[in-house]
Amino acid sequence: MENTLRQKAKELLESGEVKVVIGYRWNRTRTRTTPVFITKPEDTDQLIFNPLCVNNLSLYLTRKFKDIQALGKPAIVAKGCDIKNIVVLITEAQVKREDVFIIGMVCNGMVYKQELWKGELTPQIMPTKCHNCDVRNPHVADFVIGERSTFTPPEKPEGMVFDKIKALDSKDPSERWAFWINEFSRCIKCYACRQVCSLCFCERCITEKNMPQWIETSAHPRGNLSWNLTRAMHLVGRCTFCGECERACPVNIPLNLINQKMIQVVGEAFDFKSGYDEKVHPPMIVFSPDDKENFIK
Amino acid sequence: MPRIGVFVCQCGNNIAATVDTKKVAEEMSKIPGVVYTCDYKFMCSSPGQEMLKQAIKENKLDGVIVSACSPHMHEKTFRKASEAAGLNPYQCEITNIREQCSWVHHDSTKKVGTLKSTDLTRMTIERLKKNAPLKKIKIPIKKKALVIGGGIAGIQAALDIAEGGRQVILVEREPSIGGNMARLSETFPTMDCSQCILTPKMVEAELNENITLLTYSEIEKVDGYIGNFTVQIRRKSKYVDEERCTGCGECMEKCPFKTESQFELGLNKRKIIYTPFPQSVPNVPVIDAPNCPKIQKDKCGACAVVCGPKCIDFKMEDKIVTEEVGAIVVATGYQLMPNERFGEYGYGRIKDVISGMQFERLASSSGPTGGEIRRPSDGKVPKNVVFIQCVGSRDEKKGVSYCSKICCMYTAKHTKLYSHKVHGGQSYVFYMDIRSGGKRYEEFVRGAIEHDGAMYLRGRVSRVYEKDGKVIVQGADTLSGSQVEIEADMVVLATAIVSRTGADTLAQKLGIGYDKYKFYNEYHPKLKPVETVTAGIFLAGTCMGPMDIPESVAQGSAAASKVLSLFSADEMAREPITSVVNKTTCNACWDCVTACPYSAIERDTIKNRQGEILRWVAKVNDGVCQGCGVCVAACRSKSIDLKGYTDEQVFAAINAF
Repeated sequence: MENTLRQKAKELLESGEVKVVIGYRWNRTRTRTTPVFITKPEDTDQLIFNPLCVNNLSLYLTRKFKDIQALGKPAIVAKGCDIKNIVVLITEAQVKREDVFIIGMVCNGMVYKQELWKGELTPQIMPTKCHNCDVRNPHVADFVIGERSTFTPPEKPEGMVFDKIKALDSKDPSERWAFWINEFSRCIKCYACRQVCSLCFCERCITEKNMPQWIETSAHPRGNLSWNLTRAMHLVGRCTFCGECERACPVNIPLNLINQKMIQVVGEAFDFKSGYDEKVHPPMIVFSPDDKENFIK
Repeated sequence: MPRIGVFVCQCGNNIAATVDTKKVAEEMSKIPGVVYTCDYKFMCSSPGQEMLKQAIKENKLDGVIVSACSPHMHEKTFRKASEAAGLNPYQCEITNIREQCSWVHHDSTKKVGTLKSTDLTRMTIERLKKNAPLKKIKIPIKKKALVIGGGIAGIQAALDIAEGGRQVILVEREPSIGGNMARLSETFPTMDCSQCILTPKMVEAELNENITLLTYSEIEKVDGYIGNFTVQIRRKSKYVDEERCTGCGECMEKCPFKTESQFELGLNKRKIIYTPFPQSVPNVPVIDAPNCPKIQKDKCGACAVVCGPKCIDFKMEDKIVTEEVGAIVVATGYQLMPNERFGEYGYGRIKDVISGMQFERLASSSGPTGGEIRRPSDGKVPKNVVFIQCVGSRDEKKGVSYCSKICCMYTAKHTKLYSHKVHGGQSYVFYMDIRSGGKRYEEFVRGAIEHDGAMYLRGRVSRVYEKDGKVIVQGADTLSGSQVEIEADMVVLATAIVSRTGADTLAQKLGIGYDKYKFYNEYHPKLKPVETVTAGIFLAGTCMGPMDIPESVAQGSAAASKVLSLFSADEMAREPITSVVNKTTCNACWDCVTACPYSAIERDTIKNRQGEILRWVAKVNDGVCQGCGVCVAACRSKSIDLKGYTDEQVFAAINAF
């Protein structure tokens, strides 16, 4: 699999079809993977692909990385879940489909955190998204690498995140409120969640707008609440549940719970899942006469 | 420091009953920047307005707040008064302390109402402090109109605009104008022949030098805004050169092939090169390409051989023409709901079950039977005819929930026509209610029942089936409480009026709204009945919902008068409450473009001096923007602001609360 990947990357760079290959390589101690940007055909041997390649590299296609954009057309090593983000980026005109070469990797699951890796992929160390993955065979790609996966996700999504959401839903609003206030109280406003999110591509984040300053920047409960809720709202109908924000959060705020809950709400209300079809816009910005109006009471 | 004046209106007792206006004024005078306050019985009265003007001049006010009724009522009044006193009109703001305050509180101690009024006014003061003087937007107007749809409503609109001395382009999808009205036999309540009153108007439209007829054409794309639309029209290939064709009809005569006539609704055949009906305008035939053996297989070509002026060209292709117009009238009309949906009535299965429109063709002197009522199966004159009303209308389960409005009248007309044409024939009408509101309408229906012997049965039909060459109709007569079974020779269904197929696609091209039945939405059902939410686009006729001929004609004229009044000035002024994009922070995600209901946002570029594109950014077109603020909400990076309601103003107002 890695050989095919290296070969393809080399071909692409040699032919000049792409100018940079965005992929994964080992760190120096070979304990973690790290993103790599290869511009020379001879460097393609660095490329790897294994269950530690958990990062969502679609982030590097956004305007947050103008230096990478300046290199020219990229090829990107992407798992099905990463491709979902690329699809949203295409919908939102951040990337043109023809301006990116997607090397789709058939994936059998990733580790939730790289520290958990003991040399073998077991269901226990896989995140919820991998247990319910319907894109192990990449759904949008220019070139697919790997043996076709025969995995079928369970009919009803299951896993830790879904169990926790169910548990939260069964609580009354005041308990839920207390839960979230407590979780958000740890937020240190480092904005790691934003930095790692490929859909947080704003030229200027709303939190940095200071005329007027809608979101208080200091890390105290009020500002924390408005930041985290605003970010959740900005991801409604867009978030693909890649889980990077929660993985990046240094204080372990369970952001997956909010994002997955939003995905469920959008799914129920609009029968919409993001990341599958670049031609369909998220429901929050489109009007359809068939929209449900059952929230008007 | 700003110099703000606050005027609190008592609105007689409307506000004063639950709000202590004097106290509100007093409280406001304590706010920094407020230099003048007062309360008055009727601010909108002439003395009230005079007072406002006087105060502005005497106190050198640079901002004015009138705490009174909804800005929908008198914002214009007070802005005008402020302007007369030398103030920028957009430095005058209204606080609504009536509809959302005094009217909803019933506390005669005035405590709550006063408190709320104070809060609301204070918020407006803070908002006003951040106001910027705005200027009305002036847009030039192209004085040419486009009318989409050449039915009676569209023809009327085109004629009226042309009479007013303006150029009109009349676009029609079919090979001839005339629309559904051209199919009708007689019209209620006067029973004058439909074609006799329609065709003169059709000819007038053709001859009027201000009208350009584009038949067999469809709207491809609409860009621009009020006064400045650019429209692309697809001129479908007729395979006949319109300029040279003399309309002699030789080609139609010689064409050896026939197919079902859409105009006759399957009751008759037509040639492959055809005009829909003899009085077609323009009298130029078209070739039905999918059915033409010459075009499909290069066989035949008889029409080209006999054509004197040699105007037939089998290689002709569709053309796209671009027109620039200042206003658009949409009059695309209606169609009937497919009857096959109602299996119990046997339409499509039983030959002698026909639609009301097919009956019109049978009764029409230019129709397939030359105006004699003969049933389709064997051509016999039917002795018993059953008319079933509300087929699909008022039937939420299988059809539509609305009333199609004209069926009660045309069914009564059908029974009259039938009794005049078939002496001794008996007609039966199954109805739910008879809705005959309108001038001389009720008398018309009474006439059908009393003079022409129509038997009206209140109830629904449960089943229609064939037996020994008869059509048996089983139904209920709810007035006598009995089941009835009628041996009929023919059954006529009064089918629901529905919107045209493709009405939604056209609406999306135009950027106008439609309801769940895909009928177009008027701006306001009572006060702006022919306007749409998109400025410069007007509606006429049944594309809005079921209506009869007089209403359609009235709407055609109404839309025309709107167009003419728009064209009476060289440029028009628009409210400057529009959105503006911050180009430095725009992400070019185009969510605003998708979300904008008025297509007012364009994709623009920032270029360097060499003309290379550096970035893409959104750009609001002031001419089209209605200031609804949807884009402001859709923009995640807060790169869009609404003038007059900027982020800072809203923030200031909230902070003052």
